[in-house]
Amino acid sequence: MIVDHPDTAAWVAERFGWQTADPELGPQVPADQLVALATALRDELDFAYVVYCVAVHYPAEDEIQPKFKEGEEPPPVIPAKPDRCLVTYRVRRLGPGTTTFGFHLWVPTGETCPSLVDVWAGMDWQEREQYDLVGVVFDGHPDLRRIMMSEDWPGHPLRRDYAIDTRHHPWR
Amino acid sequence: MAVDESGRNYTHPVYGYAESLPGADLFLTKADEFLTWGLKNALWVFPMATSCCGIEFMAAACSRFDMDRIGSIARGTPRQCDVMIIAGTITVKMAPRVKKLWDQMPEPKWAIAMGSCAISGDFYRDIYSVVPGVDTFMPVDVYVPGCPPNPDDLLMGMRRLQEKITQVRAGTWVEPELAPDTAGFKRPEIGRLGDPDRDPRTSQDQLDSVLNLGIHGEATRAPQADE
Repeated sequence: MIVDHPDTAAWVAERFGWQTADPELGPQVPADQLVALATALRDELDFAYVVYCVAVHYPAEDEIQPKFKEGEEPPPVIPAKPDRCLVTYRVRRLGPGTTTFGFHLWVPTGETCPSLVDVWAGMDWQEREQYDLVGVVFDGHPDLRRIMMSEDWPGHPLRRDYAIDTRHHPWR
Repeated sequence: MAVDESGRNYTHPVYGYAESLPGADLFLTKADEFLTWGLKNALWVFPMATSCCGIEFMAAACSRFDMDRIGSIARGTPRQCDVMIIAGTITVKMAPRVKKLWDQMPEPKWAIAMGSCAISGDFYRDIYSVVPGVDTFMPVDVYVPGCPPNPDDLLMGMRRLQEKITQVRAGTWVEPELAPDTAGFKRPEIGRLGDPDRDPRTSQDQLDSVLNLGIHGEATRAPQADE
């Protein structure tokens, strides 16, 4: 049954308990709940169309103590962060009252992200592109090959640690 | 003989000779010049159009500029074409395909590098995926600078190519055309064809790379550690 809910973020907060801090990013989703959320969005709220799936690589960061004046209360320490990727999704509800909804996921390097191809077929090439350029491995993707770069390309060029002047013999 | 107001002769000498004959029904020429005339006025074009220069190429082929009037018809197959016009940025993934298409064109064949991306890569030249100029892997006869060039410029390039064909077939030494000056830019690490500093193994490696393309485009070669 399709529910015409005016506020998808409130619906998700009520159903799953995840609050939305930034409407652009949407709620942060645990990896094991991603497929459940996607299926609920598709079947119950009629989000039938994939707008994008975009991943961004963030390198590892050390622990940071923010500066403070003497005699003041020291601000809380920003904890160290591992090498990780942010995977953001945005889907659209078609028909009257069309609206979009986004959600995101943090994937530490070395772990895999669940594939949403079984939920939306349009995720197929989107996820292949993110695998190709950023190096996020989508678990359960039926055909995870490179789509943009040549077949024998070494590395993933949109990672922060990729050397941009890497030579590619014999063409450059 | 067709002479304009400035006195410049825009036609081949064969025309003048034919028109000087009484009645001009009889046509006398050397067979070689006649073949040259036919060759340079039937330059079928293979449009290797990968980006915005392709739009200008389409404009040049349409009615306002009308490249058909000098015999240049765009064909979608390399096997019927004489001139390859590379109009756009060539990436590392595209380069073996371009070379494969170039190798499929029958002799005699010529190439025009249209636009600054095809000439040198322009401001994309330092990007990891862009080939810094198509003359790093295939010979180029005429460079048409611009970003993108006007259709007029492309037609001028076709005229230059026609003049070059005439001179080469008449036995005249023609200075090889050099890529337009790109002073201030870093030279590509892979030398251009004809560059004395170019590693002679590069051409063989490029040929091997093209031959290693599978029938559906999969590389049959494992990525090398030092690449």
